[in-house]
Amino acid sequence: MNDQILIEKAKEGLKEKILNIANPAPRRIFLKVAVDNLLETISWLKNEQGFTHLSTISGVDLGPSFEILYHFANNFCSFTIRTEIPRDNPSLPSICQLIPGAILYERELQDMLGLNVQNIPDPRPLLLPDDWPAGNYPLRKDWKFERPAEVIPGGKK
Amino acid sequence: MNFQIPIGPQHPALKEPIGLRITVDGEIIREADLRLGYNHRGIEKLAESKTWIQNIYLMERICGICSHSHTTCYVQGVEKLMEIQAPKRGLYIRTLVAELERIHSHLLWLGVAGHEAGFDSFFMYVWRDREIVMDILEIISGNRVHYAINTIGGVRRDLDELQVKNILDSLSVLRKRSEYYLNLGTTEPSFVARLAGVGYLSKEDALALCAVGPTLRASGVPMDVRKDDPYAVYDEVPFEVCTADTGDVLGRTVVRIKELFQSYNIIEYLLKNLPTGPIAVRAPRRPKSNEVVSRYEAPRGENIHYIKSNGTEKPERLKVRAPTLGNYAATIKMLKNGFIADVPLIFAAIDPCICCAERAVAIVDARTGQEKIVSTSSLKQLKQNVSPNKERKREVVWPL
Amino acid sequence: MATVRTLVYLFIYPGLLFIFIYSTFCEWYDRKLYARLQNRMGPTHTGRGGILQPIADFFKLMSKEDIVPERADKGMFSALPAFGLAIVSTAMLLIPVWNYQLSQPSLISFNGDLIVLLYLLTLPTFIFFLAGWSSTNLFSTIGATRVLTMLFGYEVPLFLAVLSPAILANSWRLAEIAAFYRQRPWLMLVNLLGFVIALISVQAKLERTPFDIPHAETEIVGGTFTEYSGKKLALFRLMLDVELVVASALLATVFLGGFPGGFWLGLLNFIIKTLVVIFILSLIRATTSRIRVDQVVSFSWRYLAPLAVLQLLIVILVKGLIS
Repeated sequence: MNDQILIEKAKEGLKEKILNIANPAPRRIFLKVAVDNLLETISWLKNEQGFTHLSTISGVDLGPSFEILYHFANNFCSFTIRTEIPRDNPSLPSICQLIPGAILYERELQDMLGLNVQNIPDPRPLLLPDDWPAGNYPLRKDWKFERPAEVIPGGKK
Repeated sequence: MNFQIPIGPQHPALKEPIGLRITVDGEIIREADLRLGYNHRGIEKLAESKTWIQNIYLMERICGICSHSHTTCYVQGVEKLMEIQAPKRGLYIRTLVAELERIHSHLLWLGVAGHEAGFDSFFMYVWRDREIVMDILEIISGNRVHYAINTIGGVRRDLDELQVKNILDSLSVLRKRSEYYLNLGTTEPSFVARLAGVGYLSKEDALALCAVGPTLRASGVPMDVRKDDPYAVYDEVPFEVCTADTGDVLGRTVVRIKELFQSYNIIEYLLKNLPTGPIAVRAPRRPKSNEVVSRYEAPRGENIHYIKSNGTEKPERLKVRAPTLGNYAATIKMLKNGFIADVPLIFAAIDPCICCAERAVAIVDARTGQEKIVSTSSLKQLKQNVSPNKERKREVVWPL
Repeated sequence: MATVRTLVYLFIYPGLLFIFIYSTFCEWYDRKLYARLQNRMGPTHTGRGGILQPIADFFKLMSKEDIVPERADKGMFSALPAFGLAIVSTAMLLIPVWNYQLSQPSLISFNGDLIVLLYLLTLPTFIFFLAGWSSTNLFSTIGATRVLTMLFGYEVPLFLAVLSPAILANSWRLAEIAAFYRQRPWLMLVNLLGFVIALISVQAKLERTPFDIPHAETEIVGGTFTEYSGKKLALFRLMLDVELVVASALLATVFLGGFPGGFWLGLLNFIIKTLVVIFILSLIRATTSRIRVDQVVSFSWRYLAPLAVLQLLIVILVKGLIS
């Protein structure tokens, strides 16, 4: 089984950096690492295992912490690296040095979850408008959308 | 002399709103920058407040052209979460609609490419024949755009013998027409002169910038989720991954036309080997607390949904990455050092399906070329400042 | 009597009224043909088969709001459409629409009117350039520079191609050239290559596909006409229609033997021959895609110009043979 070989290789190559590794379905591997080991893990995955394609980065608000998932893929497997960062210090390193195509996903994370991506080449907002009030991050669970009252010019007061 | 040209959010070359700023030196593009968010609808946030069933229809509305891609991607993820297996016949019909959607999307793209290159006759002919596949979809699902055929645990509508016969008949017409377009699109001198060598993306760049779909395959990388990570019934259907080595717009055109023929073959196989049996199984109301990564090869490339459930009726997190977003970084790369005349073609060549964009308005000063981004409210203010003494029509009276 | 004749000539036939009616008809013909070639219906609603559609469009545009951009050069911006229409209408008067007395040159048919006509056809290009430039819109400015860039490409081949039949006919007068070829129809074959070159160049001059680069909608919105609206746009569109008629009439005169046969027969000849030329132009328009501006210039200088020189050589050789 291809997944098993990959898991063995991961255990060999990363050793104690692995916090958890799971294979819930064929061709799906979830690997959990600490945020400090993230860059090393990704460079191992890219350079030694040939996972060059980053599908996307998902961010999940878990309450006391944020979970960030990097979904990689190659021709045989979808490999997800997950890491957790605390809510009071939401910062993680940028992986654009390794994967240049990650820039849009990292900017999206900054906009939507208010994460602080360090060393990001282009920190401008991507999705939200320039006059979006600071400190509002739509994908956090505690953010609620309130629709502003509709005002029709010249309409009934 | 350098100056900036705003392409979008509203521009004849763009069928959907997106903000693109290009800095040009004469006719040559030096810099390109992208602003998304014009059309941002907050679907990921909305999905967290809808039930699993409601979300199928929400996913369908992410995009009109690839509506089936998003629902299939979502539904097969949810099926894994709920630990149910859709019956064979259901999966066959699901795949059938997916391939028909690919045909309709690729034909649409082919027409748009013709239009962007100023070849309107090609555009008209291709879109005329696209009606055939739209009619097939209408036969199957009753709808031309939002097929609403997926449900958790299978599909909602069955096929009968007459429908199968009708589809096969229409398909032979379509196949003949596609051969003509393949010939025309790759030999018409003025059309090929516009496509060849335009928007070059090398294999290394395509991989580094995480391009997906036909854009990636046209750079010579055989990556196709249908082959790499077979979902539905793709592991039993024979087909080939189409690639091209040129890495330009012509290559992307060729890849898409080749994929059309693969899709015809797949559909014929599916219809001839359609198994009997039920089309759907009953699904539970709520899955266990779990997570799943669901991948799907949409007409534009890899579509990926990350779904996390928490044991309730609503998802905890639903992350959608539409294929177009994956191709933007590569587009910026392709645009640089091209001609203004090639902007619409290069941009169209990734087949942009803009489900995310911007809500600001850029004002460019014609004399200085300076640009500032303002919100709608200050734009109104600006309008009043420009002509403060002009008489204004009195405020409209609310009729009710 | 002479005054009345002149007035009729200027205002009715082949003056403004005839130009207006015939050029709108030609627009309808071109649109309908283009649509049928694309498997569409084209105009159907106004008049029989939509024949009045261009006139309806013209009056609709005339009644629309007319906006002049704040930063535009207002005088220039407003005057250019009228100038343009005047220039192409003047050019129309030089076309030998019916039989001129070949023995006595007059105000509208003189030795050298071919050259004047060609230069009058060059002026609209500059009108487009100035229109785009004075709008001060980014898209217009790019359109304007594209107009000029293209001019360098097609102008020389067009002149060479149109002038070589004149060299063979040994005259610079349109009516005489046409008469020369009517007397020796087989000599028309000598100019076949020139006819093809002239057709392509005229297509570029009229900014139609594959040379609709200055107003390529998918690239630079409306190009030179981005800021034009209302009456001014209506005049510009009419100007393009008239230019189409004039250019096709010029080709018909020089390459197809003119319009002989007195008043009625001459008119019939005029209509048939211009429609044939417009048919070919529409066919080119329907079967090609737009090329880039750099491709226009390289195409003209790599193929059109050498071929035009070749045509000139052939003409000189043939002239030596027959004299």
